[in-house]
Amino acid sequence: MPDGSKREMELDGVRIEDILRSLGVNPVEVIVAKNGKIVSEEEQASYADELKIVRIVHGG
Amino acid sequence: MLNQAERERYARQIRLFGEDGQEKLKKSSVFVAGAGGLGSVVSIYMAAAGFGRIRIVDCDSVELSNLNRQVLHGSDDVGRRKARSAEEMLQGINPEIDVDAIVGTIDEDSLDRLLQGCDLIMDAMDNFPTRYLLNRAALQRKIPLFHGAICGFQGQATTIIPGKSACLRCIFPRAPPAATFPALGSTCGVIGSVQVTEAVKYVLGSGELLTDRLMLWDGLNSCMDEVACVRDSSCRDCCNKYNVETNNMWNNVETE
Ligand SMILES: [Zn+2]
Repeated sequence: MPDGSKREMELDGVRIEDILRSLGVNPVEVIVAKNGKIVSEEEQASYADELKIVRIVHGG
Repeated sequence: MLNQAERERYARQIRLFGEDGQEKLKKSSVFVAGAGGLGSVVSIYMAAAGFGRIRIVDCDSVELSNLNRQVLHGSDDVGRRKARSAEEMLQGINPEIDVDAIVGTIDEDSLDRLLQGCDLIMDAMDNFPTRYLLNRAALQRKIPLFHGAICGFQGQATTIIPGKSACLRCIFPRAPPAATFPALGSTCGVIGSVQVTEAVKYVLGSGELLTDRLMLWDGLNSCMDEVACVRDSSCRDCCNKYNVETNNMWNNVETE
C-alpha cells in the first residue's frame, strides 16, 4: 500500500484497476508493480502475485 | 585542459575518475529545468562538481515559503527573480564554470530554443505536463533526461536514455492530478543528489545507470526501493512509428 502497510487478499484473476478501487485508491494517482515490475492497471492479478502500489509524486 | 586552480578544486574528484573524467564534465552543457527545491540541489552539486556549462531556467520570484527547501536562495533574495539569485549562488560556488540563468517559462514554444547546445536535461519541475514536454524534447534530440520528483518525505527518480530505456511516458502514461505538495528540503536533497550522481555517471560512462528502474525513496520509513519498468511498445512518445518518422522529418527540415 502507498503508506507502506501490507494487505493479503484472496484474489483470482481480478483486474488491478478493480483491486485499486476496492481498496479506495484512485488509479490515476498511483502506479502498480506486479512482482517487482510496473504493469498497466488493465492487467490481472491473483493470490500468488505481489502488488506494490506506489503513489506518484510530482513536486519539485 | 584543466588549469591549475581547477586541478586543485577538483582534486578529490580527479582521485575518483581522473583528469580525463573531470574534463568530460567540463565539456558538458546541462539544462536544469526549474530553480526550486530539486533545481537548487541539482544545480548546486552540478556547479560544484564542475559541469562546464549550466543553463537554469525559472520564471518565478523567490517567496519566503520557498526557503525551507530552495537552498539556492536566501532571505535577502525574497522578491527577486529565482534565476538571478541562482546565478549568483552558482557562480559564487564555482567561478570556473559558465552559468546561464534565464528568467523564462518552459513551454512548447520556448523549449527548443532553451535547449540549444545542451547535452543533458535535468528534470527539476513541479508538474507532469512540463515533464512530458521535457521527455519529448529529450527523445527528439536523443539526449538523456534525469527525472526526479518529491512530495513530503517521498521521492522518486529514474534515468531516461532515448532509444534504449523506457521513457517518462512509458512509466507514467498519464499525469497524476495537480495539487499543492508538501515539501521537505532534505527530500529534495536525496532525490536531487541521485539525479546528479546519474548525470556524472552518464558523462563518465561508468557504473550502472538508473534506467528501466524507478527508484523510490520513503523518508518516513527510511526505505529505498525500486520497481522495474519496461518500454511500452504502444507508448505514444517513444514507440509510435508515425511520431518518430514525423520527428525525423521535422529535424531534417530544421537542419536544412
Ligand atoms: Zn515511452
